Amino acid sequence: MEYILDVQNIHTFIGQYHILQGVDVRVPKGSITALLGRNGAGKTTTLKSIIGLTPPREGKVIYEGKEVQDMRSFDIASKGIGFVPEHRAIFRDLTVEENLKIAERVKGDYLRKKEFIFDLFPDLKRLMALSGTALSGGQQQMLAIARALVADNHLLLIDEPSEGLAPVIIEHMMKAIRLLSKDSTIVLVEQNFLVASQLAEYYVIIEEGRSVQAGSMKDLANDKAAIHRYLGAA
Amino acid sequence: MSSYFRKNYVLLITLSVIAALFVAAAQGMEKKDFVITLLRGLSVGSLTFLVASGFSLIFGLLDVLNLAHGTLFMIGAYIGWTVFVRPDTFVDLLTPLALILSGFALGDVYPLLATRIRLGLSVKRILPWALVLVSILIFGFILPRYPISIWDVENYGQSPVTYSFMADQGTRLLAPVAAFTEISAPLALIGLLLASIIGAFGLSLFNSVTQQQFKLNWKNYAGFAILLLVALLTFIFNESLTASLTGLSSNWLFVIAVLVATLSGAGLGALIESTLIRPLYIRPIYQLMLTLGMSAIGIEIVRAIWGRPEFVMPKPVFFNGSGGVCPATNFADWWANNCSTILLLDGRVRVYNEIFIPIVGLVVLISIWMLLQRTRLGMVIRAGVQDREMVEALGINVRRVFTMVFALGVGLAALGGILAAPSMGLSNAMGESLFLNALIALAIGGLTNYPGAALGSVLVGLIQQFIIKYGQIGIAIPFTDIIFKPTPPLVPASTVLLMVIILLILPNGLLGKKE
Amino acid sequence: MTQQINSRLSAFFSTHRAALFTLLVLILLPFIVGLMDGESPMMVFANESGNSKFAQGLAIEIFILALYALSFDLIFGITGMLSFGHSMFFGVGAYLTGIAIKTFGLSLPATLGLVFIAAIVQAILFGLVLPRVKGITFALVTLGLGSVFHIVVMSSELGPYTGADVGLQGVIVPAFISPANERLRFYFIALTILILVYLIYKRFVDSPTGRVCVAIRENEGRARMLGYNTFYFKLAALTLSSLTAALAGFMHTLYQPIVSPNIAGMGFTVTALLIILIGGVGTLSGALVGAVVYRLLDFGLRRYIGESASFISGAVYVLFVLFIPFGIVGTWKMKSLQIKQGWQRIQKLFG
Ligand SMILES: Nc1ncnc2c1ncn2[C@@H]1O[C@H](COP(=O)(O)OP(=O)(O)O)[C@@H](O)[C@H]1O
Ligand SMILES: [Mg+2]
Repeated sequence: MEYILDVQNIHTFIGQYHILQGVDVRVPKGSITALLGRNGAGKTTTLKSIIGLTPPREGKVIYEGKEVQDMRSFDIASKGIGFVPEHRAIFRDLTVEENLKIAERVKGDYLRKKEFIFDLFPDLKRLMALSGTALSGGQQQMLAIARALVADNHLLLIDEPSEGLAPVIIEHMMKAIRLLSKDSTIVLVEQNFLVASQLAEYYVIIEEGRSVQAGSMKDLANDKAAIHRYLGAA
Repeated sequence: MSSYFRKNYVLLITLSVIAALFVAAAQGMEKKDFVITLLRGLSVGSLTFLVASGFSLIFGLLDVLNLAHGTLFMIGAYIGWTVFVRPDTFVDLLTPLALILSGFALGDVYPLLATRIRLGLSVKRILPWALVLVSILIFGFILPRYPISIWDVENYGQSPVTYSFMADQGTRLLAPVAAFTEISAPLALIGLLLASIIGAFGLSLFNSVTQQQFKLNWKNYAGFAILLLVALLTFIFNESLTASLTGLSSNWLFVIAVLVATLSGAGLGALIESTLIRPLYIRPIYQLMLTLGMSAIGIEIVRAIWGRPEFVMPKPVFFNGSGGVCPATNFADWWANNCSTILLLDGRVRVYNEIFIPIVGLVVLISIWMLLQRTRLGMVIRAGVQDREMVEALGINVRRVFTMVFALGVGLAALGGILAAPSMGLSNAMGESLFLNALIALAIGGLTNYPGAALGSVLVGLIQQFIIKYGQIGIAIPFTDIIFKPTPPLVPASTVLLMVIILLILPNGLLGKKE
Repeated sequence: MTQQINSRLSAFFSTHRAALFTLLVLILLPFIVGLMDGESPMMVFANESGNSKFAQGLAIEIFILALYALSFDLIFGITGMLSFGHSMFFGVGAYLTGIAIKTFGLSLPATLGLVFIAAIVQAILFGLVLPRVKGITFALVTLGLGSVFHIVVMSSELGPYTGADVGLQGVIVPAFISPANERLRFYFIALTILILVYLIYKRFVDSPTGRVCVAIRENEGRARMLGYNTFYFKLAALTLSSLTAALAGFMHTLYQPIVSPNIAGMGFTVTALLIILIGGVGTLSGALVGAVVYRLLDFGLRRYIGESASFISGAVYVLFVLFIPFGIVGTWKMKSLQIKQGWQRIQKLFG
């Protein structure tokens, strides 16, 4: 199988805390891979380590065949990784349109992708002139995903997209993510196991800063013991 | 609409109280006094704004409290003065400065060079130190012997004070042309170039962060080539350049002085950020100490080069006319005679101090606003003030933006300095008082809020000037015969008190956003 | 029984070897300097002028600076409040002492009592703004309060009391601790006070209250979530700090012939900041080491370089920040851990 992203045994420190103590994540090209685990397990930190915001001290991050773990964040991102962080991180002082424009990596990105984005999230179209803060939670989440789509990204890292959203909006979000996975690979952090199991083909479970189990989602759905043990879900 | 009032009633009440105070202050004095005081307030406010806005941009984006900002304001003033009063010195300095900087313009090349060199670990450790030392030694040998026609702080007849005075009288004194006597010219030039490259290479080795490997193209050498060209041209055409500068009218020379001061400030800012501040982003407290130290060093450098006594920079002739119909009463008269003062509602208003400076302040206010709102750089700055990590995760090199913003901020301060020089005069202390003003203005307006910086600066300027004015004419206390005259110490105290009161009511300042 | 005491004592001596040695040196310092200069201890006891007396003077200044820096380390280094008005704490002590003795003729104990009361009052004044402003805004508000105090002290209206911009002079110090005639006594009193305050501070930092202060520095939100009313802890730190700084100011006025208004200015707050940054922020002992280095550096540079001394000191600070970022004590603590670990590794290799 061809892996677009191969995270090998990374160790990440925040301050003096040893947060990640050996995480492996392999992401097949074109798939949706879910990172699962309890709150505080280290899923967000894994994503941040991939994109260099909390660079790993040991281990390798191989993206499209190149080691990127020593590069600066913006260099890594420029290689074609889009990041949709936890809590969305919409820029308050920018309008919705500017929130999209700022993600341009090549001049004209925004104009080229505009139609595609509006097709995906029709709501955003009428909000363009508003400031980033005026949006509802669901709209912010759409904007955060849309922002990651402006540049030509082959890999999207999406952190808890369903967090705090109403079921109807989650449905919409899932549709969008499924649509996106046609063109790009997606790494999805998701607390809501139902959502994750419907979207993802592969999974990695992280527990206390270590990756403890990985495989295909179908197998996990039948592995009640693992679900119970690592995710605390029924 | 009503929800806006409910949310912001504290702000609105505060603003109305300030406005009411302002109206009351206006009632208490004659019209002509009021006009003059208002314009003076705007003038001080504009200078304060130039310092405050840069400081606030830097603080907002980089989280660096640049305590050296006032000193950099002062340095801008002294650099501008040098260009204006001693163009010969300025031209003489261009060659060595361009050479000294040239090595640093090759910054992108060194990491590549470093990876090519394969050395033992112990050599690798010593190498940066050795290179820097060698560079310092070469500089130490050449620079004292490099001929620059300059003033002499020890000798009153040739001190900056005298040159400044003579320039004001209309005769621009120049020192005799300095010549290469102790050292041969080619040796000096090549030595400086080498020392610069060696030193910059050495410094770059201290920074061990691995960088992305990229192909070098002509852009990586462009800065170096330009500097080298500047150095050569200014060396060859030294005399004719000096002659043409001295031949210019003082108006054009002033424009050049403003440009040079602003650009040097920006360059200095970029240099400081990329060499000194950058290693300390992970240790914020130490930036505080670093900028404090830089401030002390800067003041000493100014004292060593330009001396301690205060002096006044002459105004360009455009603002310095007298006699005839001056003070002008209408625009045509003023334009024809370039009067230094005009009559406005019977008040004598100094054109440079009280009209030109506020206009420049306004122009800068609008330009920076446009930059922030209308350009991509501005967008990145606004986003970065809120969330640097996210900006970086979008693939934007925030560090580069940091350098630009630091350069911009220091450039604005330097611009303020050279603008202030003809009105405030040049002194070792000029930065300090203005910096305190700027801090107060920012605290009042909102630390990282651009319109807030403008509002705070204007308030600070106005309050100070009104209190000074009332110190002269006195305040008649109602229902009594007492006339209260605020004493000079009340001027700084009043703004400080206003700051404390406003911060207690609105902890984030008038326009600052809640965290 | 005695054996137990003996073993405790020896344990105490071995853990505090460096501190005890320093103490011994400080006690003997006047005499050592005297001997080096050919003065007998008797002459030193008689307070005859000479190098010993001069060294005592310098040491007293250092003790006072150290007290002042300690008080700043408590609120900045330990509790994490950056106050730019700290010189006011010192200035209030210094000026109140001078005015009480000179203008109102109060006795020394009464003056000290007054100074302490004033210190508590002003800590509460600073404390009033605490719940409203944090971080950099707190720095600005305290800067404001401090500058108002500086301006008041400098104003000509209060000249008869404060000496305005000339400085406060002519304070008659009781003969038994006169810095001119009884300097050795002054030296030992100052030393004793410094040691006592230092020990109190150590105790404070190790106490539950002190630990909460450290927690506030690390993360105030979390400290509050753990159920502590952080306001009271900050106020406690401020009060202790204010008392100490006022005590330092009290001694400053007794020792110095002229109290310069500079000690109420922003520059003197920066001095405190520099001292603890040199010594090591939040280490307490760093304040002591920093005071020694700062004062000696300042003294040496002014003496041998003169005018441009502050250029050099500015450069020294910049170098410090870039190369010894954790201060002398902080860096030493870290390195000593490394050295210890290195030793253990070597021992493991052979053992
Ligand atoms: N800035 C930080 N400082 C200290 N600990 C942190 C920090 N950020 C995260 N952690 C710790 O790292 C662990 C992993 O966090 P995170 O990756 O956010 O978990 P998840 O996303 O799986 O919920 C948690 O225990 C958290 O407490
Ligand atoms: Mg998370």
